[in-house]
Amino acid sequence: MSSEHKHRNFCGRTRREFLWQAGAGFTGTALAALLGNDGFLNRQAVAADGATPWTNPLAPRAPQLPAKAKSVIFLYMYGGPSHIDTFDYKPTMKGMDNKTIEVKTFGRGGHKNQGRIVETRWDFAQHGQCGQWVSTLFPHLATCVDDIAFIHSMTADSPIHGSAMLMMNSGKILSGSPCLGSWVNYGLGTPNENLPGFVVMLDPRGGPISGAKNWSSGYMPATYQATVMRSGGTPILDLASPEGVTREMQREMLDTIRGFNEEHQQLRPDNSNLSARIASYELAYKMQAAAPDAVDLRQEDERTRSLYGVDEKQTEVFGRQCLLARRLVERGVRFVQLYSGGNHNDANWDAHGDLKENHDLHAGETDKPIAGLLKDLKQRGMLDETLVVWGGEFGRQPTAEYEKGTGRDHNAYGFTMWMAGGGIKGGTSYGKTDELGSAAVENRLEVKQLHATILHQLGFDPNRLSYFYNGLDQKLVGVEGAEPIREIIA
Amino acid sequence: MPSYLPRVLANLLLGTTAVLSWAAAARAEEPVATASPEPAAVADPAAFFDSEVKPLLAAHCLKCHGADGKAKGSLFLTNREGILKGGDSGAAVSLEAPAESLLLEAVNYSGYEMPPSGKLADEQIAVFTKWVEFGLPWGSDAELGEKPTDDHGPPAVDDKAKAFWSFQPVTHPQPPSLRDNAWIRTPIDAFVLAKLNETGLKPAPPASKTALIRRAYYDLIGLPPSPEEVAAFLTDDSPGAFERVVDTLLESPHYGERWGRHWLDLVRYAETNSYERDGAKPFVWRYRDYVIQSFNNDKPYNQFVTEQLAGDELDQPTPETIIATGYYRLGIWQDEPVDPEQELYEDLDDLVRTTGEVFLGLTIGCARCHDHKLDPLPQADYYRLLAFFRNVRRFGERSPESIEDASVRAIGNEEEVRRNEEQIAAHKQQTREVRQELRKLNEQIFAALVGVEKDDWKTDAMRVEIAKRHIGGALSQEEFDRYAELTAKRDELANFRPSGLDKALCVKEHGRECPPTHVLIRGNAHAAAAEVTPGFPSVLSPPEPNIVLPAEGVSSTGRRRALAQWITSPENPLTARVMVNRIWHYHFGRGIVRSTSDFGFQGIQPTHPELLDWLASEFVAGGWRMKRLHKLIMLSSAYQMSSEASEQALAADPINDHLWRFEMRRLSAEEIRDSILAANGSLNRGAMFGPSIFVTIPDEVLAGQSMPGAGWGKSSPAETARRTIYIHAKRSLAVPLIASFDGPETDASCPSRFVTTQPTQALGMLNSRFVNEQAEQFAQYLRTQGGDKPETQVAIALRRLFQREPTPGEISRGLQLLAALQSKHGLSPEAALKQFCVTAYNLNEFVYLD
Repeated sequence: MSSEHKHRNFCGRTRREFLWQAGAGFTGTALAALLGNDGFLNRQAVAADGATPWTNPLAPRAPQLPAKAKSVIFLYMYGGPSHIDTFDYKPTMKGMDNKTIEVKTFGRGGHKNQGRIVETRWDFAQHGQCGQWVSTLFPHLATCVDDIAFIHSMTADSPIHGSAMLMMNSGKILSGSPCLGSWVNYGLGTPNENLPGFVVMLDPRGGPISGAKNWSSGYMPATYQATVMRSGGTPILDLASPEGVTREMQREMLDTIRGFNEEHQQLRPDNSNLSARIASYELAYKMQAAAPDAVDLRQEDERTRSLYGVDEKQTEVFGRQCLLARRLVERGVRFVQLYSGGNHNDANWDAHGDLKENHDLHAGETDKPIAGLLKDLKQRGMLDETLVVWGGEFGRQPTAEYEKGTGRDHNAYGFTMWMAGGGIKGGTSYGKTDELGSAAVENRLEVKQLHATILHQLGFDPNRLSYFYNGLDQKLVGVEGAEPIREIIA
Repeated sequence: MPSYLPRVLANLLLGTTAVLSWAAAARAEEPVATASPEPAAVADPAAFFDSEVKPLLAAHCLKCHGADGKAKGSLFLTNREGILKGGDSGAAVSLEAPAESLLLEAVNYSGYEMPPSGKLADEQIAVFTKWVEFGLPWGSDAELGEKPTDDHGPPAVDDKAKAFWSFQPVTHPQPPSLRDNAWIRTPIDAFVLAKLNETGLKPAPPASKTALIRRAYYDLIGLPPSPEEVAAFLTDDSPGAFERVVDTLLESPHYGERWGRHWLDLVRYAETNSYERDGAKPFVWRYRDYVIQSFNNDKPYNQFVTEQLAGDELDQPTPETIIATGYYRLGIWQDEPVDPEQELYEDLDDLVRTTGEVFLGLTIGCARCHDHKLDPLPQADYYRLLAFFRNVRRFGERSPESIEDASVRAIGNEEEVRRNEEQIAAHKQQTREVRQELRKLNEQIFAALVGVEKDDWKTDAMRVEIAKRHIGGALSQEEFDRYAELTAKRDELANFRPSGLDKALCVKEHGRECPPTHVLIRGNAHAAAAEVTPGFPSVLSPPEPNIVLPAEGVSSTGRRRALAQWITSPENPLTARVMVNRIWHYHFGRGIVRSTSDFGFQGIQPTHPELLDWLASEFVAGGWRMKRLHKLIMLSSAYQMSSEASEQALAADPINDHLWRFEMRRLSAEEIRDSILAANGSLNRGAMFGPSIFVTIPDEVLAGQSMPGAGWGKSSPAETARRTIYIHAKRSLAVPLIASFDGPETDASCPSRFVTTQPTQALGMLNSRFVNEQAEQFAQYLRTQGGDKPETQVAIALRRLFQREPTPGEISRGLQLLAALQSKHGLSPEAALKQFCVTAYNLNEFVYLD
């Protein structure tokens, strides 16, 4: 690069780093994490030259700034839970059921200017020291409100599931960008290389709309994509050896592979990719022991299992997943995302039909497990460094979708999410929607500010965590950047 | 900022039974806060500003419009001039018509909505209103916050920019004449050696013949040579032995499957639309076949480009050139856009971006919202390029019918097309008539239905029977006969639609006239600025586009043909350079310009600029033919070097900028899967082309779909043994083996694959059902070929995986495993052999080439 153009290189990369990124011979082992922090870069300048020893791209790294949280558990309420039936209390709507009013809404049914009010079907009461209003949908969670910061003024760029989910997970409504969990692993690596750094657990009724796009690493290498994990059976795809292959047999085979591979490498000592591949087989072998151990919930005592509702039919599935999430975080997994709800329609929070039936079902399945998770994390002293995030891709409208019934359409103009732990100020509420909950009116927030807050708690400057792709330093929070929500940070 | 954000909140619907009174409603009913018509004078304007306006600006505005010299929308609110000058959307305040000022519009949330975090209180809005109406008085500090800095402006399109190497015409340098010319087989070597000589580096010795033939086979056809092919080459000591191998490979039909795959990566080829439904694109596989055939036929690159960009606008379009325009339809498509107008520009952006990067090596997509920050590509250039595509219809409007309408065309000769259209029209007409008559009778009968009949009526197949019961009542015998006849006719028409011609996924335009193209402020479809006409990037000092309306009856503007003409013109400085560099990149694992899709300022300078130009000029002079270029490259000493490192060279040039050796590479995901099948003799090489196949995807992976298994079919065993390029490319569902070995990300152009190494690859290669099934097959193959002798079985296996004779040490290592599996783990000889095959598939030498 000629000197007159050099100053344009505002991304502050060295020539070598740039070269690995910019089109030729991308290698995962050679990939430098591009954080705008020089000390960090120096530590990350690895092996593209073929001479430096291999470093696992997921090797743990120190964050840019002092971190509050080490891990994130994102409780994804797929389908869009109704904020005004859960945490965003609207007393003025009382007695207004079926009244037709003028209100601007935009959902899957398009833009509307008026609608028929559906009054909430649940009673609200104040809880905790902070007096947070919670509906009867969440009796257990209501006891945790002093640890939670509620964000009532979220907005999203799309009221359509597919694109709104991409937005919540990757910051863009267009498909093709890495997910939050990928960014976290790209930036921080994982302290336990025997387990994946980014884990997703799905609802047994099915995955969310767009499936794997929701946990893809987009334009980043596959190293940073999520591993789908199950709380029963074989936890990870291809983790278990085929029937009839014992661990000792596998060791025998691995030793043979190693023998061949080391002999092969002797003539090619400069190629660190070959040693990386040798090392990866050892990692796989260790993972085969570590992952089943992590999912072995029998190691938990009765009291803990019942705290999560593992012993009750309704809460068993999500309870197991929440408990597993804690066990993973305990073992150093950076980012765990759990899906409540799957498939389509009432198999998730997408209450277009019978609001009461839908939300009773999904809240009933998740309330106790989530409360159990928060309490368990707290009693173990883990809540301080585990950031728990709750919410869906949008909220729901105050009015009915159809002429009859209680179904609510999607609402991206305003909805509630909450965070707990990981340096978040418990017992707070931030932002407001209008009297109907139809739109955020006070301290309106975009998804990127939520993302910025999560990154910030993990020790990143959200505006400096970048990845060079397509001629641009890409950021999770977009080129214009975003600030964390400081009001909810302890 | 999306445009659909709420303007006003709840308004009351007055005059109905429900009369509600809420503060919010009342507030929203109020007119926007404009001050009284005759504002009272302010005693001290500067004090008013300092005490009332400044705090508001500081608290709510300056963070985005002025702090740290940064300003969103280019709007600075830090000084009076900045406000009057305005940003991308024009002056923020109009002193002539204060009430119409953008600033007031914004704080009132009527149009823009500022501050975005929430509307200000009425009193605060009133302060702004008063301030504007008083003529924008300023206070004691002329400048609030920090001064805007202008150091980081985008590169200008000036002589200096135009002189950048890649924007200069391609030259035809003479190969250096060197004294030591024993190494020089082709002019390529002269360029390479000259550069090596500069630093005193020596080229690596020639690769062994076994390494070379394996390298050449994978390179050109993506498959290993058979043991017989290897043996024939090793025993052929005549001078043209390697050349004959290259010639044979270039004539192989599998050449197109390998090199076509490179092209499919570049043009973001996938067979579904992504997003919620991730629907399958109709007939998209024809494009894949077109690419394979084009490579096999050694189609000149200029023709290849023209067909894809404008195959429909040619003087004589053929089915092939129509299929080629499927290029426009390969990208992601949102069938349920939040903001349809913005989405149109997302689609166009995909075309501009892909075309710019793939054909020109320019990351012009970065100039969508503002002038390119790193390259001399002004925002207007982006929209001038976009104008060539402005008339292209969207892929569809949600329904399959709309896709058929906007993106599918029958392919056949004129007569066939005409006859087919007549048949379709006649069929439609008949159907319409039958349905009309049926509807009348249906109504007549329906009126007479009683009880459960009404329910049963919903079942189409029961209607005739129900109608029969009403003969003599609701309808006469004649009417009933007619009813039965019409019903049968309707079913027949539905079942026997005109079979139609073959169809292709292709581009279509709206008509012969194009809507205007505007520069869009910050890329916002709702903020149109100056109109632009089609044009090429100005830094290239290009000619005016030669846009000629296509022949009468052709429903397009001819713009894309003009674009293709310019891109494929021999004078274009980028096209040939970019393509020969890609070809070099695929042969050597890295380009002469390592940033293969970025030839701009930010791209990496060529390591061998003269060689690049020599190749580019040779390419054009040779009729843009790729096979000739392959041969030229592969017959060079540079290509035939060993990949072994010398310590001295490694120390001097660790990343091999000088090309002192050939570089090892790992097989791609496709090569790995194809080679697993090739090794055990089950690869179905003969079946080429046609609709894509479905291989088995484990249930655990399908469980990630919202409807597990949706959009994924089942193919026969013979079909699933076909090459990987024929596997259905579904954007939201990846075949695990392909995904874990870094298959292409298809949402955007993929110029170069990642090569990652991770434990999940090992897990898949050891434990997956696919590998274990193939190992079983491999074991069977070994028994058939090698009988019961373990030595022979092991030797055949290693020979088929490494394409060389295994050493005695390697064979004994294999035998040791077989013995241990039987003695220590109690396996039968058959079961042990299978586990040996699993083991062998996992060896580094199998997936790495020297």
